[in-house]
Amino acid sequence: MNRFLSKDFLAGLMFIGFGVLIYVAAFTDLSSTFGQSKLALGTAVRMGPGYVPRMLSFVMMALGAIIAITAIVAGSEPIDGGKWKPIVMITLGILAFGVLLDPGNVPAIVSWFVSGLPRWENPVSGLLPALVALIFLAAMGGDEFTWRETAIMCAVLTVICYLIFKWGLSMNIPMLQGVW
Amino acid sequence: MDILSNLAIGFGTAVTLQNLLYCLIGCLVGTLIGVLPGIGPVATIAMLLPLTFKLPPEAALIMLAGIYYGAAYGGSTTAILVNLPGEASSVVTTLDGYQMAKKGRAGAALSISALGSFFAGTVGTLLIVLFAKPLTEMAQKFGPSEYCALMALGLVAAVVLASGSVVKAIAMVFLGLLIGLVGTDVNTGAQRFTFNIPELSDGIDFAPIAMGLFGIAEIIANLEKRSTREVEKTVITSLWPTREEVRQAWPAVLRGTGIGSLLGVLPGGGPTLSAFSSYTLEKKISKTPQIFGKGAVAGVAAPESANNAASQTSFIPMLTLGIPSNAVMALMVGAMIIQGIQPGPEVMTKKPELFWGMIASMWIGNLMLVIINLPLIGIWVKLLTVPYRFLYPSILLFCCIGAYSLQNSTFHVMTVAIFGVIGYVFLKLGCEGAPFLLGLVLGPQMEEYFRRAMLLSRGDATVFVTRPLSAGLLAVTVILLVLMALPSLRKKREEAFQEEG
Repeated sequence: MNRFLSKDFLAGLMFIGFGVLIYVAAFTDLSSTFGQSKLALGTAVRMGPGYVPRMLSFVMMALGAIIAITAIVAGSEPIDGGKWKPIVMITLGILAFGVLLDPGNVPAIVSWFVSGLPRWENPVSGLLPALVALIFLAAMGGDEFTWRETAIMCAVLTVICYLIFKWGLSMNIPMLQGVW
Repeated sequence: MDILSNLAIGFGTAVTLQNLLYCLIGCLVGTLIGVLPGIGPVATIAMLLPLTFKLPPEAALIMLAGIYYGAAYGGSTTAILVNLPGEASSVVTTLDGYQMAKKGRAGAALSISALGSFFAGTVGTLLIVLFAKPLTEMAQKFGPSEYCALMALGLVAAVVLASGSVVKAIAMVFLGLLIGLVGTDVNTGAQRFTFNIPELSDGIDFAPIAMGLFGIAEIIANLEKRSTREVEKTVITSLWPTREEVRQAWPAVLRGTGIGSLLGVLPGGGPTLSAFSSYTLEKKISKTPQIFGKGAVAGVAAPESANNAASQTSFIPMLTLGIPSNAVMALMVGAMIIQGIQPGPEVMTKKPELFWGMIASMWIGNLMLVIINLPLIGIWVKLLTVPYRFLYPSILLFCCIGAYSLQNSTFHVMTVAIFGVIGYVFLKLGCEGAPFLLGLVLGPQMEEYFRRAMLLSRGDATVFVTRPLSAGLLAVTVILLVLMALPSLRKKREEAFQEEG
């Protein structure tokens, strides 16, 4: 097994990456591209907003380097390949839930690509479409997906959610925007 | 008597209809997730955090605490009956508990474990009452440099006692501290790492991070493993242990309670470590070590008492000093902060109803668990047959709605997704989430204290070693780190955790 694909080496790289990202984003001329203004360091007596972050970013880089070097020298466990399906489908499911819940989200995403559209709202939004998208995508992430079973699950969960969140906790979420 | 009047305040708060109800809900939810393998108290509390914002602080904390110690109960029920530990803390219980069940002594094992746990819980609660006052008084003498040192000690100790690589765990603490910095700097108003996203100016909300790291990542990991469970029916005849069993059990309960109470206070200790240590001790001092693993009564009584005592006493550092000793306590601190309560020694003086009410409720909760759980065992075992493919989409859904309800904003739902992915990466790289969470919770306070200490000392960093208290705390921290670096000790520690896994 390649020792550069070990758990510890990659973890070390990740920590170094975080340290570098923080440093570049807050203390170099590149910071404006991150939408971040440069942080003042201040003095040890009157610390500026950047004093502690800079310290932390150095510590992160140092620890990351120690972990990565130890992994190369002493070796560590190889990383075990996962399945792509659960992680991708579940993440997509949650994102879809977030996008479909609020009527303003789809227009906001579209406006990143197409500008100059009149104001509009996504007609298919609210808890019901969000729930269906999440449950179907999540169920497809497992190994035992069937359409029928998942559809029944959606129906049952819709009723449960309505009872708990709308009726019980009287939360302000529309089931279907403008309709229910 | 001071303690008695304090307890009176506590029971006055805990025995209101509302708080009893939330205590009951917490205990039931805790038992439920304890019974179900693949979903633990950390994930559950993380997911329920948003729902607690709408409750009064007492009710919220009473319920969350109930989930924590209820989970230990539920975990042992399935460990004994079907050889499936619902929680890590009840893994050892399977060794002798299930063997007892096979011999037809399932009922006895369950009641010994329940009564042992109740005894341990009572002792744990008493210890909290006894130690709360002196520890709090000591903490009130702390200046910023002492606090900073204490937090450093807490973080390092938690790392040393947790399993896995120490350097990686320390790096995770620092990563947590870093993520905790995101938002508006309190002292200067500068935007730090908010990347022009307005929602980040208050910092990344704690609840979605915890949900993503512990809830979502755990679900994904379970889906990858894909285990099939087979539930074997065990017949429960009599719940009553025989006189001989009682005679074997009670010294083990006492020792288990002792170990659990001690290890629970230590950062990173907690229920799992206590259960393992007490089992090992019982086996070592027993005159008949060969019966362990074949249904020894002490092998059930000791770890069960130990894990419950530890879940009680792990509240001590959190309640008195505001220092969480494990991931669940970090979540409790988060819950308090969201309720507008700054955890620390002031909680006891400023919010006596909350402080003593929570302690009293823990004892009541333990009593409820004994009373409700023995009759409900049949239902809990039936729940085990619900397939995971129905469970996880529902859990995800409640997670997402919970995240949204924080501020009626889908931004938090997206945060959950992002931290789910990050949590998955952590899992794959063998980086533990608990140290990260501790760093995240303590980060903002620690920076605050650090800056204040340096301001008071006029920029002289030696303040941390010239003040005796903070010097002592830092010395312990350094000693712990040095001990870890010693090869012989490192080997011992690895062996200890090997036994666990």
